[in-house]
Amino acid sequence: MSSTDDIYGQRTLDFVERLQRLTEYTEICRVISAELEWYGLNCVTVMSLPGPGRPDDDGFLMNTRPMDYIANYKEKHHLAIDPVVTELKRTAVPYSWQDVREKRPLNRPEKRIIDEGRDFGMRDGLIVPIVSLTGEQAVFSPCGENPDLSQRARSALELVGIYSHQVLKRALLKERRDQAVHTPLTAREREVLQWVAIGKSDDEIGDLLNISALTVKSHVEASKRKLDAFRRTYAVVQAIRFGEISL
Amino acid sequence: MIIVNGSQRRQHAALFEQLYRLRHDVFIKGRGWSLPSSGGKEIDQYDTDEAIYFIDVGDNGLIEASVRATPSATASLLADYFPHLIENGEPARSPTIYECTRYIVRPAVKSRNANREAKAKLLAGMLEWALSQRLSFIQTVIDAATLSSFVEMTPKTIPLGLAHPYGGGRKVPGGGECLAIRWPVRPDVIADIREYGGWQQSSFPQAFSSSEHRAIA
Repeated sequence: MSSTDDIYGQRTLDFVERLQRLTEYTEICRVISAELEWYGLNCVTVMSLPGPGRPDDDGFLMNTRPMDYIANYKEKHHLAIDPVVTELKRTAVPYSWQDVREKRPLNRPEKRIIDEGRDFGMRDGLIVPIVSLTGEQAVFSPCGENPDLSQRARSALELVGIYSHQVLKRALLKERRDQAVHTPLTAREREVLQWVAIGKSDDEIGDLLNISALTVKSHVEASKRKLDAFRRTYAVVQAIRFGEISL
Repeated sequence: MIIVNGSQRRQHAALFEQLYRLRHDVFIKGRGWSLPSSGGKEIDQYDTDEAIYFIDVGDNGLIEASVRATPSATASLLADYFPHLIENGEPARSPTIYECTRYIVRPAVKSRNANREAKAKLLAGMLEWALSQRLSFIQTVIDAATLSSFVEMTPKTIPLGLAHPYGGGRKVPGGGECLAIRWPVRPDVIADIREYGGWQQSSFPQAFSSSEHRAIA
């Protein structure tokens, strides 16, 4: 059994504990980058892989690879043939770039992708596959010039990857929720929704405002669109949240 | 979902018969673990009177999910066989920590959603019980490949160390890597798990408010 009196275990548990206390996205990224530096991993990409209903440029949770490297990678559609990425179809446990190179002879386009990485100072890296119970597949992919990818380092980085992915995902989700913007309602839409909120029917609101029930309905429909709501009750909830109406 | 303690084994003979057979199917036949078994049943030294069984039985009478919790002070797989999984110096045994083992989720409907729901119901239920008992943590040894699903359920899942090989490691059938984790017994952790499973309410409606359930442990 491998020795546990080294520094990897305690170090990683400390990292996870620190990460669990953070909620702010840029701070989370900073802590993850700092941890990876210790292994000689100076770049990292954390992303959801393209799947049904998920276009590929939507999936970045964190990325510190150079932008010109990413632009070139995207432009040439490397994701579909990168041997390090296609290996994900065959294995669900963490592996290094070097493992892939040793496993099978690479063809010319595959070798070119590896050479291009080398030009950016990325010689080896680790891929930590993360499959969620909703079926979404993600990867945590740090790399560097000459990183420590010893067995214990890999076990540590697997934990670093799994926690980083989850914490980043939650922070981004929260940020998106907090920043959710909506198109402001018109005065008339606000007035109508205010009556909807206290339970008036379209006919009653029409009588109160001296407009037809059909016009009332069209105001409600417009509000629903602006508030990204399927039902009028949810439109009311959203309107209260955004401070458009109050109870 | 029901909670049965080990001393009630005789009153629930048929249920335990089914459970032990299911455990044999899942762990010995399915995962290839080398565990003691007799007559197609898997029973081990932790199936004592003190063990608590959380069992969810479907409409057809078949077990859909189950897990066993044992007091770590007297019955801990982690302390007995995997002490090297703890890398932060914490003791494996404590009177306020229970350990869960023999975790099975087999919903009648096979889908990702059904799996999520069943998993969350079982774990949230166990933590609700643990809260009623004023426990501090539930701990367990898991296959390292399942860690991300537990962290997905609640990011408050605490690792106790890195993954270590068992049964010959990841390249051997029946082998793999395992690690030890703990869940803090707190309402916010239960809320995380319920939200994950899409459950709005307790796994045990009306339970744990009465003193009757206190008597279980």
